[in-house]
Parts: sequence; structure tokens; C-alpha cells
Amino acid sequence: MKYKIIEHSLSILFVVIIFGFLLVTIRGGEQSQQIAHTRLIEPYLKLNFIDFGSPLHAALFKETLDIFYPRQPGRNDSLVQAIQAFRQEQFTNPAYKTGDEKRGLTPLRLSKLGRMYLQFIAVYVVVMFLTYNGAQSLAIYRFVKMKQFKTSYLVEVIENLKTLRMGGSGALIRIPVLLVKAVVKGASYAVLFAPAYVIAYSFKTRIDTDTYFFMVVLGVVSNGLLINYANKFYTFLLSESHKGYVQTATVKNLSTSYSWGGKDGITYLAVLRPGRMFPTHVFRHIYVNGRYQYLPTLKEHASFLITGLIIIEMALNIQGHLGYELLQNILYKQYDVVIAIIVGIYLVVKATEIVVDVWQYRESQKYENRT
Amino acid sequence: MTLARLRSSMIVLYHQKDRLWLVIWLGGMILLWLWNLVFLNRPALAHLEAAFVNTLAGGLSVVFFSLVLGWSIGVSLYFLEQARGRVFYLMLTFVLNVVRSIPQIVGILTGYLFLTFFIEREILLNPYSQILFMAFVISLVVFQELVDLVRERIEYHKRLDFFHAMLCCGIKESRIVNIEILWKNSRSHMLHKLISIFGIAVFLQCSIDFIISVGLSTDVSLSNFPATLGSLLAKMDSKQDILAIGTVLSDIRFMGDLFVEHLQGISIAIIIVFTLLCVYKVSNGFVKRLNL
Repeated sequence: MKYKIIEHSLSILFVVIIFGFLLVTIRGGEQSQQIAHTRLIEPYLKLNFIDFGSPLHAALFKETLDIFYPRQPGRNDSLVQAIQAFRQEQFTNPAYKTGDEKRGLTPLRLSKLGRMYLQFIAVYVVVMFLTYNGAQSLAIYRFVKMKQFKTSYLVEVIENLKTLRMGGSGALIRIPVLLVKAVVKGASYAVLFAPAYVIAYSFKTRIDTDTYFFMVVLGVVSNGLLINYANKFYTFLLSESHKGYVQTATVKNLSTSYSWGGKDGITYLAVLRPGRMFPTHVFRHIYVNGRYQYLPTLKEHASFLITGLIIIEMALNIQGHLGYELLQNILYKQYDVVIAIIVGIYLVVKATEIVVDVWQYRESQKYENRT
Repeated sequence: MTLARLRSSMIVLYHQKDRLWLVIWLGGMILLWLWNLVFLNRPALAHLEAAFVNTLAGGLSVVFFSLVLGWSIGVSLYFLEQARGRVFYLMLTFVLNVVRSIPQIVGILTGYLFLTFFIEREILLNPYSQILFMAFVISLVVFQELVDLVRERIEYHKRLDFFHAMLCCGIKESRIVNIEILWKNSRSHMLHKLISIFGIAVFLQCSIDFIISVGLSTDVSLSNFPATLGSLLAKMDSKQDILAIGTVLSDIRFMGDLFVEHLQGISIAIIIVFTLLCVYKVSNGFVKRLNL
């Protein structure tokens, strides 16, 4: 465990040093670039009698430059363009528009970023908890269905059609029900695999998509996160169910019934509840061992979840969110702010990795009967 | 006779879910294309076709780059681990762990910044080279799954008798690892992983192209990037098509209009979602068929 903590600390240190170095370099470069840039155009901006917004004045200015510097048309063009770009920046740069503080990583901006960062972490923790439990519930549900030897709804429809042809009247009621179930299942799959922005834009005209609640819902159900991690957990359950101890547990008279409800079966509540318990059922052991193997997957889950959340924030263009801020700062080339955000995001992933490692260590201690 | 043969091949296909879903995906795409051929205007259809091809090409390139990176780095790690001084092994592992902790989106955004930089300096102007560059960047954030698999497969086979028997026979260790273990005994495992990587690549590429619709630089126009499904979906008319789904949810009578008047956006959404679903099903079916 010590080795892991040291490795994580070294990684954090390494990344902070690298990005710190980049930060200093970029700030130094930006400052010198800004000084050189302003020094070049400053004398012309001070000429009060020229209105650079007027096309006539701009054209006259260009012609005057061509007269004064006749053999340097490239330089003159660049100068005019630089002045226009400077003027344009005053309209497009959010710092100028909102009367905000200076460009770059100022204390005020840092405090704003800090607030956004805390909000981001709060959403991340909630979505992580929900997807971790949701993935388990979905996987267990699928596992139980597999143990019940359930075929797909469409196959059941075909079988019922055969029964109907042979005169079974009950099939007439079952077929529409099965078809509705198949449609609902298909729609659920579509939602689970849909990228967040597709779902968000589908609902944008009907509900307020800029709320935290909607963001959490999107984070949980969209981008294929839930379904893919449910699939991973299901794989672990499946591989555990083939191991020898399951047969031993069965011999020791633990329940092996996978029917819903009942005294010996599996209840829906047990599948959905976070602290899942399946007392006197063989599945309890399959689940506990499957969960132990699933723990390391939480690290990549964290990384993918953060990717999903940033995509949601960027795609929905919600002002005041970390993802939106990241994109805006990339657009306006405020790379020091970008670096600060990236380091913050990296630290969230690292913190999750450390938590997962400690959790796994404790679980392994339990397995080795050291606690 | 033909009907019976068709029936039997259908039954075989039903039990081989990976192939079944591949056929379903192909059928779905052909059906959608035919529908668009009838109802979508020609310029929009041409854009859609180009975006579809570019996205698939990007996804397949990610698969290729990931395979090369995953295989070479996985094998290198194995040999470096056995070397007397383990400095290089520790360094490479450390760097890989650092990269692993960076969320995919951050890595890809950084890649796009470089792409913008290269376009600004007129280094990467060819659309194909831009697709390849982005595919390489995406593969840098997803290839580690393959490295893990390669190492896991080598570790597993190393515990078996045949590994030592082959060493005793004088066969080079690199040959045992590359040919006997990875090529002959782990191809299907790697193919399974590559199918998943393809799904992730399509998702990431579409998402990143959608979100950078506002641009990543005030100097480079987004129109300089090759069209993909994500960038096409980010266009205003496609977004309006997706917004129309909301209208259908409240008034089902508009359902018909959705598949005739709002085809561009709806088609892109269907292609993305349906492809991701089919990749998932193919991957699961593959595991089931080969008992991986």
C-alpha cells in the first residue's frame, strides 16, 4: 500500500511540476509577446484624430503608411491588421466585454474557478455514487435474468405466435405486452447509448437543461457509461459463478433459486439497494467476490465519468461550469487558466485512484483474514 | 431447398450474436441510406456520407494505432521488466500511469490544440492527414487497455508449461511472446478489445467534434477540419432537427415530420447511437461465441 501511495504522490508531483513549468513559461511568453505587440501599435492608437472604426479613416491610414514606408507593403498590412485585431479583441474578449479583471490567472479568477471546481466535484461524487450502484443493479438484474433462462422479448413474441397458431388464446394478450416491453427495452438502450448532447438537445425545448439535476441525470444515463460498466460488472459475476466455491456453497444448502421474490429467491429491493445483501443465497458470495474484482475498474470509470461530465458541460454551453470555462479559455488562448483547470481535473482522478486503492487494500485484508 | 438453407443459416446467425448484430448494423445503415436517398436533399446527403466515411475511417485508424501502440509497449514492458536494471521499466510504467490518470477528453482537447497550431502554420492541410493525426491522438488515450491485455495474456501463458518447454527447445523468447502467445493464442482476445476501442473512438470523436463547434482558436475556422458526424451534428440545422424530437415527445402527431423534414440531424443521431449499440452487442456476442 505504501508503494502505491508513493507512486500516486510522485505522479501528482510530476504533473504539478510539468504544468507549473508550462504555466511559468506561458505567462512569461505571453507577457513579452503582449509587450512587443502593444509597443508596435501603441503610437498609432494614441492618434486621437483617427477613428479606426471608420472605413474611410482606416483606408487613409493605410495609404499614409504606404507613403511613409513605400517598400514595405507587408509590414503596413500587418500593422493595420494588428490594430484591427486589437480593436476586435476589445469587443470579443469576455474580459473586456464584462469589465472583468485582467487576462490570465488572477486571484479573482482563481476564486471563481475554485467555486466551479467545488461544484464540479459535488456533481462528480453524486454521479459516481449513482453510476457505481446503478451499474451493479443493472448487472445483477441481467445476471438473474440469465439464470432464469429468459430469451429476448421478440423471440417470446415469435413463440407466442406459434402458440396462437395452434389455438392458444392466452398468447393474444401476451403478444402486445411483449411488444410494448420490447419497445421500452429498445428505447432504454437508445437512451443509454446516446451521447449526452443528443439527449440534452432533444429535451432542450421542453425542460430547463441547465440545472444540476439534469446534469446529474445526463451524467448517469447517457454516454454509454452505465451500460458499459454494468456489462463489466456482469462479466465478473459470470466468471465468479463458474468457480468451484459456488458448487460448495450449493452443497452446503444455500439457496440457488433465481426467481423474483419469495423466501429463497432474489428480491427487487435487494437488487436496487446500495448495501446489497442476499442472506442464505449463493449469489451473496458471487456478488461479494465480483464486487472485489470490479473495484480496480472504478479508476477507469472515474476517468470516463469526468470525460462525460466535461462533454455535458461543454456541449450544453452552461456558463459558470468548469467544462464551459475550459473551452472558453482554450478559445481565447488563456492557457494558464486552462492548465489550472486541467491540473484540478487530474487531481480529482488521482484522489479517486487513491481512494480506490485504499478501499481495495482493506477488502484484500478482509479476504486474507487480517482484520 | 433454398428456403431451408436460408432458414438454417438464419438459425446459425441467431446463435452467433456478434455476426447477427454486424448484419443488423449493416442492414440498418443501408436502410437509412436508402431512406435518405429518397427524402434528404443531395448536398446534405453528400455531407452526411462524407461525415460517415470520415468517422469510420477515424475509428478504424484509432484501432490500428492502438493495436500498434498496445502491442509494442505491452511487449516492451515485459522485456524491460526482465532486464537487469529496471530503470526503463519503472520510468515507462510511471509515464503510462500518469497518462492513464488524464481523462480522455483532456488529452484529446490537447491534441486538437496541436492540430489547430499545425493548421495555422499550414503544416497539416490535407483532410486525410488531419483525420490520421486526430486518430493517433485518440489512440494515445485509449491504447492502454490493450497494453493491460497484452501483459495479462503474457503473464497467463508464462505460467503454463509450453512456455518453458519452448524455451528449452531453444526458441527465442521474443518469438514465443509475439507469435505463440499473442498472435496464435490471444488474437481473439485482442480483437474483442479492439472492437470496444472502436466504439470508444467513435464516441470520443463525435463528442469532441460536437463540442468544439464553437472553435478552438479565433484564427482557425472549424470549416478547415474534415467533416465528421459530430461536427455535422453541431451545425445549426442539425441541432434544430434534434430539438424537433422534443416537439414529438409532447405531440406525437409530429412523428411523421421527424423522419422526413428533420432528416439530417436525426440520421446523424441514429447513426451514432445505433453504431454504439451494435458495437456493444457485437463485442458481447464475440465473447459469448468464443468463450473468452
